Amino acid sequence: MAAYLAHYLVMAAIYTILALSLNLLIGYAGIFSLAHAAIYGIGAYASALVALRLGLGFWGGLLIAALVGALAAALVAIPSLRTAGDYYLVASFGLQVVILTVFMNWTDLTNGHAGLPAIPRPVVFGWVIDTPFEYVALALALAVLTYAICYRLTSSPFGRVLQAIRDDEIAAAAMGKDVVRVKIVVAVLSSALGAVAGSLYAHYITYINPSSFTLHESIFIATLVILGGTERLAGPLVGAFLLLAIPEALKFLAIPDAVAAPVRQILYGALLVVFMFVRPEGILGRRRLAPVRAAAGPRP
Amino acid sequence: MRTVWTAIVALILAGAACLAAADSAPIKIGAILPLTGSGASYGVWMKGGAEIAAEEINAAGGIAGRKLEIIFDDHAADASKAVNAMRRLVEVEKVPFTLTSYSAPTLAIQPIGAQHKVVMMNGGGQSDNLANKDYLYNNIPVVSNEVGVMADWLAHDKKLHSAVLITANDEAGRNSAKTFRDKYAAAGGRVVGEEQVTLDGTDFRAQLAKVKAAGGELLYISSYGRNVSIIADQARELGIAIPMAGTSWTLVPETFKAPGAEGMLVTKLPFDPELPFAKKFKAKYGVDAGFFAVQYYSGTKIFARAAEEAMKKNGGRLDGEGVKQAIESVKVFDTISGKLVFQPNHAAIMDIEAGVLRGGKVQVEKVIKAGH
Amino acid sequence: MDLLLQLLATGIVVGSLYALCTLGWGLIYGTTLHFHVAHGAVFTLAAYYAYVGQKLLRLPLAVAALAAIVLAAVSGLLIDRLLYQPLERRGAVRTTLFIASLGLLILVENTLAIVFTPDPLRMDIGLLQRSVRLGPVFLTHLHLLTVALAVAGYAALVLFLRRTRAGQAIRAVASAPEMARTVGIDLRRVHLLTYAIGSAISAPAGILIAMDVGAEPYRGTTFVLLASVGVIMGGIGSIPGAMLGGLFLGLVENLGVWKIPSEWQSALSFGVFLVFILVRPRGFFGRHVASAEL
Repeated sequence: MAAYLAHYLVMAAIYTILALSLNLLIGYAGIFSLAHAAIYGIGAYASALVALRLGLGFWGGLLIAALVGALAAALVAIPSLRTAGDYYLVASFGLQVVILTVFMNWTDLTNGHAGLPAIPRPVVFGWVIDTPFEYVALALALAVLTYAICYRLTSSPFGRVLQAIRDDEIAAAAMGKDVVRVKIVVAVLSSALGAVAGSLYAHYITYINPSSFTLHESIFIATLVILGGTERLAGPLVGAFLLLAIPEALKFLAIPDAVAAPVRQILYGALLVVFMFVRPEGILGRRRLAPVRAAAGPRP
Repeated sequence: MRTVWTAIVALILAGAACLAAADSAPIKIGAILPLTGSGASYGVWMKGGAEIAAEEINAAGGIAGRKLEIIFDDHAADASKAVNAMRRLVEVEKVPFTLTSYSAPTLAIQPIGAQHKVVMMNGGGQSDNLANKDYLYNNIPVVSNEVGVMADWLAHDKKLHSAVLITANDEAGRNSAKTFRDKYAAAGGRVVGEEQVTLDGTDFRAQLAKVKAAGGELLYISSYGRNVSIIADQARELGIAIPMAGTSWTLVPETFKAPGAEGMLVTKLPFDPELPFAKKFKAKYGVDAGFFAVQYYSGTKIFARAAEEAMKKNGGRLDGEGVKQAIESVKVFDTISGKLVFQPNHAAIMDIEAGVLRGGKVQVEKVIKAGH
Repeated sequence: MDLLLQLLATGIVVGSLYALCTLGWGLIYGTTLHFHVAHGAVFTLAAYYAYVGQKLLRLPLAVAALAAIVLAAVSGLLIDRLLYQPLERRGAVRTTLFIASLGLLILVENTLAIVFTPDPLRMDIGLLQRSVRLGPVFLTHLHLLTVALAVAGYAALVLFLRRTRAGQAIRAVASAPEMARTVGIDLRRVHLLTYAIGSAISAPAGILIAMDVGAEPYRGTTFVLLASVGVIMGGIGSIPGAMLGGLFLGLVENLGVWKIPSEWQSALSFGVFLVFILVRPRGFFGRHVASAEL
């Protein structure tokens, strides 16, 4: 029982980092990316590879993952400078597919479908983090750190520029804000943090393969962000902890294994639909004023 | 004062009850199998075989008086799922032993088993990389044995000297293709092309078009599970007329039914459909038993034997290390298909049959004895 | 040379399937500006409707297929009527509609996976699976039918949009919704019609694939996202563009493997798309880049 709880907490912490970092893009910069799982994967592979091939320790791996993630941010940022809205969405989807194909087929580097086993557990100041509870401490610490970084960013003057861009990019540009620079900074930070989550994941499960970083995973992370609420910093955190509790709760309902995964997905899908009706701003979103009734039919 | 005495007595009784319960608590082992997905047909065989074995063991009084309980998990050909299942088995259920299947999933869980001293018994995966791994035992030969026989037979008996390959893009498919290249070259054959496919794909026409253009006298299918029948049918559809070949893992029900697979050259590991076990399996599950059903039946029985040995030696205590030592010391196990000997590389060797798939059955043309 | 011709032929077949998807999705997107990912659910449902019709209700194949197309049209229409329009009445922004659409897609796919299992369900297509040989190229009758249906679907759609009042109403709403409203066009009804027709055009793609390799619950997500790629490449709002975009995707996917290893197929298609969108966001025939904000 305690082992289950520890596992839940570690995964919730990892997904908190993922959701917080994705929300920098969605909630603060207005960039709806479906490629976050690819970034997550890049961090996981980078960290695992330096540990397995170069014998680098956990912190070295984490740092490398963050750096590689930051570089990969270019893949996310550059399309966002040329396209927006729906165009960007589709471009990010394309990016996700391309990166996943690389994971699958660049076998010399990633070992392809077979994945990378025997990833070592982290060693912190000589202490091997091997029991579930020790890992909980590490994971939560990194999640708190991520939250702190996001908080500093969003409550600074830079954060206000971000929100201005989210609300109205053209007006923000007209006011002289360097939109390009802001988007790049956000993309870099978002990707670095997402990659860090990947590193944490790789050293926890001690095995990674491409199937953990698919489009469905990207959609799942976006779901956490949307349902938690994009407007408040803590929204994604709430989204992660609550939504990850669902599969754990389901375990108590003796659902046959073969249908457990689809059942979970049905619940997530249903939650998305229901929320869009009753609380589109998410759990922690700021309640909107009652909408003006549209005159006749759909908006143009 | 009286309450203190009552408490102490209660505690002692409770402790005794716990000890007694532990002595008769069921022995739990794991089984990580392809229950859903492209390999679900294997899963039916594997799970059924293990279940029948457990039933028989329990009906005969269990293992040293304790009932055997198997915890089944599904990896659906995805090694990540296997790893998650293994973690649960090791950290939460604390099993001493687990059955496992498929190459990539087994390789992924092996370090975890080795670290936590949990014995893993693979009855289905065949990658050569499964040999010589700590705490992992394979009661099935690794693929180079079968592929060696296949390559030889194709080159010398069937006189087919050039081949084009279709390879599943996973550990097992790739390993088998590499071995085929080596063994076929040693037998004087030449590989003229190779295309990759996914296990769960449904349309291979682009790859098959390239296969057709590569020429070759034979198409070697280094893949397994559901996609084999699709590959065979689509190959014929595209006008590929050369013979196709595959090892025993291509022999799933879908392949037997596929019109395109008619005439396929196959090697198979021995399976006797007249075994009482096969009849029992058919009666219970309504499906014909197959080689893999026997494999997991045997794997479970091997555990039972090793566990009894271990408990005898360690005064009733059962753990993975004990099971491992028991397997190493017993080494030769009696199974319903004959004697099974674990080689020093932790794998088994078996007779191999070569033949042709006709009308839903394999017509055996040649038998190559184990150790050849 | 033979290989190239075979790949070209397969590319046209696959391109025809994509074209049916892009035509339908593009019509809906161009008219309503809804990022209707639930179109993938309609595509998948069409396949299962046909499967149920033939294998469980024992209807003849053609009847099952036609019934499936009609049911798919109704399904698409209901999605607008019961999901998008009520949300719009509540003042939902486009992102909200997209999320709801995504939720519905996930819901439908996984419900189908539970009811029918995730395994591909084959249909009996009888003579359609016979191969026919055109020179060095081998295709099945089903493949030829696919191309024919794509061409017919395109022609029918163009004729409908140009020659019928309903079609003209759709075009009016697509190009200038406010003006259309001013001249008395009922936007709600036009939307419903658009959804019905868009779904009906794409349904055959789902059914044809089911006839070829079996109905699968999770295919819809990939196809709808590919449709959006095709529409963007063709140019938003352009029907010929959508047709061309779909065909182009099929051709890139198949001709691409002529020289590169086949496992890199999807990376190639999307790589081409990414370069394309950075160089010419408006696509082949698109108008100026609409703000198309999400």
